[in-house]
Amino acid sequence: MTAQTHDDLIAELATELPAWLPTQRWFAGKDRAVTAVRPVSWTTLLDGDPLLIHLVVEVDQEDRTEPYQLLVGSRQAQVPDVSSSASIGLESGLTCYEASGDADLTAVLLELMARGTTVGELTFETEEGAELETGLRAHPITSEQSNTSLVYGRQYILKMFRKLSPGLNKDLRLHRALREVGCHHVADPLGSITGVLDGEPTTIGMLQRFMPDAADGWVMATTSVRDLMADPSMAPEELGGDFAGEASRLGAAVATVHADLRRALGTEPAGADDLDEAVTVMVERLDRVAADVPALAVHVPALRETFEAVRSITSPVEMQYVHGDLHLGQVLRTLSGWLLLDFEGEPAASVAERSRLRSALRDVAGMLRSFDYAAQQLLVGRADDPVLTDQAMSWARRNRDAFCEGYAEVAGTDPRDEAVLLRAFELDKAVYEVSYEHANRPDWLSVPLASITRIMTEGS
Amino acid sequence: MTDDQTTAPAPDGALAGLDDTPHTGEGIEADGTLVEPHSEDFGHAEQAPAQPDWFKRAVFYEVLVRAFADSNGDGTGDLRGLAGKLDYLQWLGVDCLWLPPFYASPLRDGGYDISDFRAVLPEFGTVDDFVYLLEEAHKRNIRVITDLVLNHTSDAHPWFQQSRNDPEGPYGDYYVWSDDHSAYADARVIFVDTESSNWTYDPVRGQFFWHRFFSHQPDLNFENEAVQEAMIDTLRFWLDLGIDGFRLDAVPYLFEEEGTNGENLPRTHEYLRKVREVVDREYPGRILLAEANQWPADVVEYFGNADVGGDECHMAFHFPLMPRIFMAVRRESRFPISEILQQTPQIPSGTQWGIFLRNHDELTLEMVTDDERDYMYAEYAKDPRMKANIGIRRRLAPLLENDRNQLELFTAMLLSLPGSPVLYYGDEIGMGDNIWLGDRDAVRTPMQWSPDRNAGFSRADPGRVYLPPIMDPTYGYAAINVEAQQDNAASLLNWTRRMIAVRKQHSAFAEGEFVDLGGSNPSVLSYLRRWERPDGELDLVLCVNNLSRFPQPVELELGTYEGFIPLELTGDVRFPRIGELPYLLTLPGHGFYWFQLSRLGDEGERRSKV
Ligand SMILES: Nc1ncnc2c1ncn2[C@@H]1O[C@H](COP(=O)(O)OP(=O)(O)O)[C@@H](O)[C@H]1O
Ligand SMILES: [Mg+2]
Repeated sequence: MTAQTHDDLIAELATELPAWLPTQRWFAGKDRAVTAVRPVSWTTLLDGDPLLIHLVVEVDQEDRTEPYQLLVGSRQAQVPDVSSSASIGLESGLTCYEASGDADLTAVLLELMARGTTVGELTFETEEGAELETGLRAHPITSEQSNTSLVYGRQYILKMFRKLSPGLNKDLRLHRALREVGCHHVADPLGSITGVLDGEPTTIGMLQRFMPDAADGWVMATTSVRDLMADPSMAPEELGGDFAGEASRLGAAVATVHADLRRALGTEPAGADDLDEAVTVMVERLDRVAADVPALAVHVPALRETFEAVRSITSPVEMQYVHGDLHLGQVLRTLSGWLLLDFEGEPAASVAERSRLRSALRDVAGMLRSFDYAAQQLLVGRADDPVLTDQAMSWARRNRDAFCEGYAEVAGTDPRDEAVLLRAFELDKAVYEVSYEHANRPDWLSVPLASITRIMTEGS
Repeated sequence: MTDDQTTAPAPDGALAGLDDTPHTGEGIEADGTLVEPHSEDFGHAEQAPAQPDWFKRAVFYEVLVRAFADSNGDGTGDLRGLAGKLDYLQWLGVDCLWLPPFYASPLRDGGYDISDFRAVLPEFGTVDDFVYLLEEAHKRNIRVITDLVLNHTSDAHPWFQQSRNDPEGPYGDYYVWSDDHSAYADARVIFVDTESSNWTYDPVRGQFFWHRFFSHQPDLNFENEAVQEAMIDTLRFWLDLGIDGFRLDAVPYLFEEEGTNGENLPRTHEYLRKVREVVDREYPGRILLAEANQWPADVVEYFGNADVGGDECHMAFHFPLMPRIFMAVRRESRFPISEILQQTPQIPSGTQWGIFLRNHDELTLEMVTDDERDYMYAEYAKDPRMKANIGIRRRLAPLLENDRNQLELFTAMLLSLPGSPVLYYGDEIGMGDNIWLGDRDAVRTPMQWSPDRNAGFSRADPGRVYLPPIMDPTYGYAAINVEAQQDNAASLLNWTRRMIAVRKQHSAFAEGEFVDLGGSNPSVLSYLRRWERPDGELDLVLCVNNLSRFPQPVELELGTYEGFIPLELTGDVRFPRIGELPYLLTLPGHGFYWFQLSRLGDEGERRSKV
């Protein structure tokens, strides 16, 4: 039986998508209106009733055009058990919906992968040596996500990348490289789905071992902070919920992953122009953000000076593959220790930027910023309370230090010793946060601003 | 006999207070053999009703004879006093008593320094009193086990006296003697605070003797077949009287061997198999419980060969679990518990762990010194409050600041984690400790029965009671005692009793497979206990524990049990059916739930009785 291509259905569906896409959590273009949606490729994975079509569309938003992938499901005989927000509309007499929540349909993806099948332009394959159990039902994870991840049973997690970029996805590439050198701090990659975009084979999905025993780092850290805030008179080290031991083991895990990435993919010394360019990018961002956010203005001269200082670093700086978007929400505490997730890199950066070699201190800076966020998140929206603020600060200090100590134990050098670069990266991240909070969560603006003040005064 | 021996002191000379009772060394045969009491000299207790594998589902209760009840008004608890309280223990739901040593002893090591394996410490009564206790306990379907130290004796034991005085006599080779102190240099000194070497010079014999513990506790020489047999005969003596088993103290150290650390040696295991054979052949249904304070992976060796369901000890204590439970609640994180259980190997089918929250010993981290386990040590030792509790003896209630919610949470975990729970006397009413009494005695104060004089423990003049009962306003016997708590339906005692009863209705708690459910909330420890009943039906229990003092939500992945209905076990409250999506529960601070999961729909629930 040759599967029908369902061209008419897809064409009709496309007319509904400009209104529907912005209602989806994972849609990255919520900042401006969708002007047009064009189907670029589609593949029928299940034909008949129910129907499952894999669809890639190009989304026009003013001057920007970006590809996204969808799983379109449709049933005649039975109403699917998915939320109403998944419903796209009635096309050619069929109710169509986003199918990632329909466990009957998503089971097919795992099946195809286990068999190593090619359907049209889509190639489903397992990683070398991986044997998959099939017949598992999946449900999407409920956490806030820019992609859509499906958990099969308690065994696997399949991440379907939503916004696509041509080529081998960096997340998959680094996971493979780390697995090859036997890294224990990532979830094993087990399979992938590859499509074609702009004529290039393109990763659209990645299957990994799911860790049912895991809790994410953000939840772990904020559990500790919660404990602290309830006993404002106690020092963090005296608290039952002290996190320093975990923070230190996390630091060691991050340092191990960095070493493994170097081992797998090599390093390059940073040249003077690398540093110059980094400074230029940081200063440009500073100017852009300061223009939008008046509260940042007072810090601009000092920040600029801190960034400029990077140009005069004379000690060698090593460039390597890094995580690129490391924070507490990207790490998992499992029974066998800390794992790092999601090596795609900073979501706001272009693909080219993401795959550049960088200093490992970028990741360290990202995690240090995250400790600040975790410490202060309970203060957001509360009236100023100097005692609680002090508590939050000392929690963050204790755990940032513990993280760096754990990192240093593995790396042999303490990231805090490279103060000029680390400070610049931390502040650059904070400036980015200022712009993000300004646009999205004005209540939280105080968090990066307070950090900037702290880092600037600590440094002087 | 040489002149030397005729002038030597009587072999039982070092035994105090045994003149009127049968005891070892009261006579001596022409060939130098000591006269020892025989089990035929005493009555024998009827056995408790036979129940295969009873220890796998038993609730154990550690009780110090000295501390429980004084029958003769001399101020010290005794065997007859304990026998008089069996109704209470039966009411509570206790299945087996564990008595620390009650043998004749100079009491330089809490009775673990045994000077006669065949006599009872006179303050506690006689061998006949023990048989009476056994008889009364068995009538109530309560079993009794006691500590037996195989590794060494007190230096007051007539065997040792004979050994040091008559090197050529029948006991000359009962201990490990040497002309110098250079042998076995790789064996560590365990009590580093009091002992500088494992060898001590004996001026009487003019040789050094080997001791892994105190220098007043010489190690028996297990190389000597006669010693191996003598110790098995010691076991037979008590087994003949009707005892239900032994906790074998300090088992890892029986043999020594040059070039090794003298722990867990193959020959030690070989001997334990020999002991087990005797028990299985001559006394089926009686048990051996190993005290080996080591990492679970090493302790598992003491269960023996898994292919035959275990051929050494029936039970062993799981030591690292206890400090991890404290750590987990302190950190509000399930990881300390989940990790240690994940690292705990499968045990043979015929064996069971013993688990406990508190016992007469201190909170110890002895077993976590290894490099890759320094996690626990680092966490514990860095935390001033936890550190303050290492190496000292505290009771459960003061350790938990008398917080009823935490007491319940800890007890609920004790009763639902894998293993047979061991309660420590008095913890069921939330007794306190008395740190002014010194470390050893702080947790050995008299059981608090009533608000009457001496807490109802003894009619002696208060000045004669072996230790003063606790009298402070929070934990004193005026406030905390069995009588008051029995009358109060909401008391900790009645709560504990109900929980024990619930546990007994579900074999899953005792024998079920343990499945950690993990989950995204690190403060909630949830697990399934899954047991296939002989009739093929599943007994499934779901336990959810909030380790945090704050209320917590949890989403449980129960996909495999879609369509099952959770029935809350303490109140028989039916919860919503499990669907395909994660199952959402909310728990109050330090709250917990026990559910039975059953497929039964409207026909009503059925408790799985064994
Ligand atoms: N292997 C895994 N095991 C368990 N949970 C996982 C695993 N991978 C991801 N998760 C959960 O899914 C969330 C999102 O995963 P992530 O890879 O970061 O997706 P995204 O790129 O959309 O951010 C994580 O924060 C984590 O909670
Ligand atoms: Mg992520």
